[in-house]
Amino acid sequence: MGEPVYSATDFSAPAMVEGIAQVVELDGKLAWLVPEQTTSCGGCASASACGAKGIGTTASRLELRRFQLVNDAGLRIGERVVVGIRENALIKASITAYAIPLATLLAAGGLAQWAAGSDRVTMAAMFAGLALGLVFARIGAGRMLLRGDLAPRFIRRASAGDTCNS
Amino acid sequence: MKEYILLMISAALVNNVILARFLGLCSFMGVTTRIDTAIGMGMATTFVITVSSMADWAVEAYLLQPYGLGYLRTVTFILVIAAAVQFTEMIVRKVSPPLFEMLGIYLPLITTNCAVLGVALLLVEGKMNFIGATLFAFASSIGYSLVMVIFAGLRERLALADTPRLFAGPPIGFIVASLLALAFMGFSGMSTS
Repeated sequence: MGEPVYSATDFSAPAMVEGIAQVVELDGKLAWLVPEQTTSCGGCASASACGAKGIGTTASRLELRRFQLVNDAGLRIGERVVVGIRENALIKASITAYAIPLATLLAAGGLAQWAAGSDRVTMAAMFAGLALGLVFARIGAGRMLLRGDLAPRFIRRASAGDTCNS
Repeated sequence: MKEYILLMISAALVNNVILARFLGLCSFMGVTTRIDTAIGMGMATTFVITVSSMADWAVEAYLLQPYGLGYLRTVTFILVIAAAVQFTEMIVRKVSPPLFEMLGIYLPLITTNCAVLGVALLLVEGKMNFIGATLFAFASSIGYSLVMVIFAGLRERLALADTPRLFAGPPIGFIVASLLALAFMGFSGMSTS
């Protein structure tokens, strides 16, 4: 039994952030997909001269973000599909990855400055706080993964005119 | 304590990175079509600006100033920022690969965000101590994220509005951005007395 598919007019359904991905590999009941490039990076007029290209090619960056889906829909290699995650899952993920380490970093720095008042001690305390925050983030991300919040869901097959921003 | 609170309010609202200093305008127009992407980009930028500013402060205080290498500041800071982005990307991927799949798209965009370099150069100009520099960078990036989310909310409403054809899309976006900048100018009239 697959996940329920929410239609665009069902306002009781949780808001989904949608994206388009292409099936690149089939592995038994699983399909491996690579997200398509969004216009936020690579679609603008200066894409050919963008400094972000120096860090890695677009293709290699997208390959790093490869993910898997249970292939209940009988997907084939090369097919484009619309996948989605819950909107609040993206916000929760951002809080887990960035806000928790930042909060522990600043709390540790504030305490160290109040107690010692030295730049070097504050710096060391902030790095310790960051490391502690990353441990908390790892635990939080593990819980989200167990609840299935981080897993993209299959919504529908993409039509020829569908783009990441349509 | 009071001076740190005033420093943070000033960095976040009065001298807002986007609307008062005009830094980070590329992402301001490019990633604000939806609130969720604006939040993702804002939080990633907040993290990178804070961490890279801490590193930039340390490089300035223990390397550039003592050895008289101030003329290498810009190129060194760019290197530190690129390293901080790569570090963040590695950490997020290591901490949770699914989180990286979800949020990784925003990170390379931050490398070329001039707000990150701008904040680092501003905190050197301000001659702050370490905690002051970190709080200044954090508050500046909170101001950046706040404006990104407000503007994304406005653009989501604009997308549904009946706009004249000539103004539809970026033109009305720029007009709204200018009105938002005027609204933020009101913070410069705040008094602490």
